[in-house]
Amino acid sequence: MNGRKKLSSLLAQQCLQQLMRIWFEFERDLGRVPIIARLENGQFTADDYRNLLLHLRQQVIEGGRWITRCASSFEREYVDVRNVVIQHAKDEHQDYRVLEADFIAAGGQSEQLNQQGRNLGTEALHAFLMYRASKPNPVDLIGAMWMIEGLGQKMAANWAERVDEVMGTETKCTTFMHYHAENDDNHIDKLYEIMDRVCQTEQDAAAICKTARVVGRLYALQLEEIDHD
Amino acid sequence: MNVFINSTGHYLPGEPIDNDNIERILGLVNGKPSRLKSKILQANGIRTRHYAIDESHTTTISNAQMAAQAGEDCLAKVGFNKRKLGMLSAATSQGDFVLPGFGSMVQAELQLPDIELQTSHGICSSSMMALKTAYTFLKSGEHDSALVIASELSSRLFKASRYEAASNVVDFNAEFLRWMLSDGAGALLLETQPRKNSLRIDWIRGFSHADAYPVCMTVGQPRTGSAQKSWQDYPTYAEAEADGALLIRQDVRLLDNIVKLGVDGYLRLMDEKQLNVNDIDHVLCHYSSDHFRSKIFDMLDHAGMMIPEERWYTNLYERGNTGCASIFIMLDEFLRTQTYHPGEKILCMVPESGRFNNVYMQLTVVES
Repeated sequence: MNGRKKLSSLLAQQCLQQLMRIWFEFERDLGRVPIIARLENGQFTADDYRNLLLHLRQQVIEGGRWITRCASSFEREYVDVRNVVIQHAKDEHQDYRVLEADFIAAGGQSEQLNQQGRNLGTEALHAFLMYRASKPNPVDLIGAMWMIEGLGQKMAANWAERVDEVMGTETKCTTFMHYHAENDDNHIDKLYEIMDRVCQTEQDAAAICKTARVVGRLYALQLEEIDHD
Repeated sequence: MNVFINSTGHYLPGEPIDNDNIERILGLVNGKPSRLKSKILQANGIRTRHYAIDESHTTTISNAQMAAQAGEDCLAKVGFNKRKLGMLSAATSQGDFVLPGFGSMVQAELQLPDIELQTSHGICSSSMMALKTAYTFLKSGEHDSALVIASELSSRLFKASRYEAASNVVDFNAEFLRWMLSDGAGALLLETQPRKNSLRIDWIRGFSHADAYPVCMTVGQPRTGSAQKSWQDYPTYAEAEADGALLIRQDVRLLDNIVKLGVDGYLRLMDEKQLNVNDIDHVLCHYSSDHFRSKIFDMLDHAGMMIPEERWYTNLYERGNTGCASIFIMLDEFLRTQTYHPGEKILCMVPESGRFNNVYMQLTVVES
């Protein structure tokens, strides 16, 4: 976070403070999800990892769709925001291929990839994001990006190394998790830069925070469902 | 009912020990200097600390005795009559004995008759838990006065022989705290009436997150095997020691959470309108290491809620990280050496990494 300029509007600053709280709360929720608790307690297995990738895959594939839909929903007065979102979509819309290669490297079978549909949490998350992205000028999705990008950083900073310990680094099956480190830092910087721009009224701030909360809850549900599947 | 901190005291054993002399006291593990020492010391920024053991690993003063010395120092400053004391609330990470409670041992050392006793067990935040208990006892009218003491004698855990006894299982996490923690005690006198120079306790609030995070700092858990296995599950204590289960460990990968949770609590207190950062004149934060100071500053700054750096006070670099005693030792030295005025507000923060308990307190300087 070094070197970032301060937000100029008080509203954007308050919104960022709320987003930080929502993120910290979400991190605690993640710690209570069984598969993540196993990862953090050192009880995670290779099966857990393959399962995690299988279940994340659908969401990563759909991720490319809601972000592009979101970009196209910004009208002319938000062309600068649209520009940032398009760039973001371009960077990520084929991420699922990296994830699939990791799954195979982790000992997964390619047919499993196609057999695994969206779990209940992924259904809800995807449906919500597509619904919001279809609204005109969906500034609230900045809250969704905040959460999803934060997750990318968390994977790289906390999860990837722990998975490596279970799988062995020689398997090179954590490229997806590691790779988010560089890219997502860049994305978070960009999000930060457009906070002042998108957070102009109290309604904007409330909508951004609400969407961030919903995304966090549904993402956690998606991970909880891995153990229910 | 208001509660005031009317006196403070401290005790630091022996002479200050600089970085070059740490291993002279704690000893060389298997006769070799540590390869991690300089890296860890550089990150934590600590230059001197105190130990209650000497080079021959003889304990020079017990934990309960140090606590008593700090308590005596605190009471003597205001000439408080021990017989009038209503309550003793004591905290430590590890007493001299496993049982009885540390408070009983401190009471006996201090020769306090007929007091109400409380022992608070935990790591860095146990002092704040002991303080909050005493504060609420006074606030509810149970007593008019309480002595709160926090004391640590962690150097016993860092003797070279401890690591040699577990020589196959000493890893970075087990060595990390050897270059961080040291010994000392701090004490506060709480009363329901202010004296000439007092600090009013405006509020104390803790947020614990053990339900969402694994343990981060332990004694009694082996490095490998089931996370539930305890040192007491071994057939003999010798086997527990050989397996490294008696070493003090820090899971350093979890440490960054302490910064986030520290900031989270700060944001919560702002939301609850307990804390207004513009009102705070002095900040005393028990960050364990200089490394975390800059991380906390970055996060507060970029969310627009930073309290200017010149308002932050610490004596970590000279007195060392004395665990739960740190915040009391810091407050004592702050009051003796810094400038402050009636009406000014002091924010104290103790983020604990044991299993993530963060406690915050706001004080107001009053003069009567």
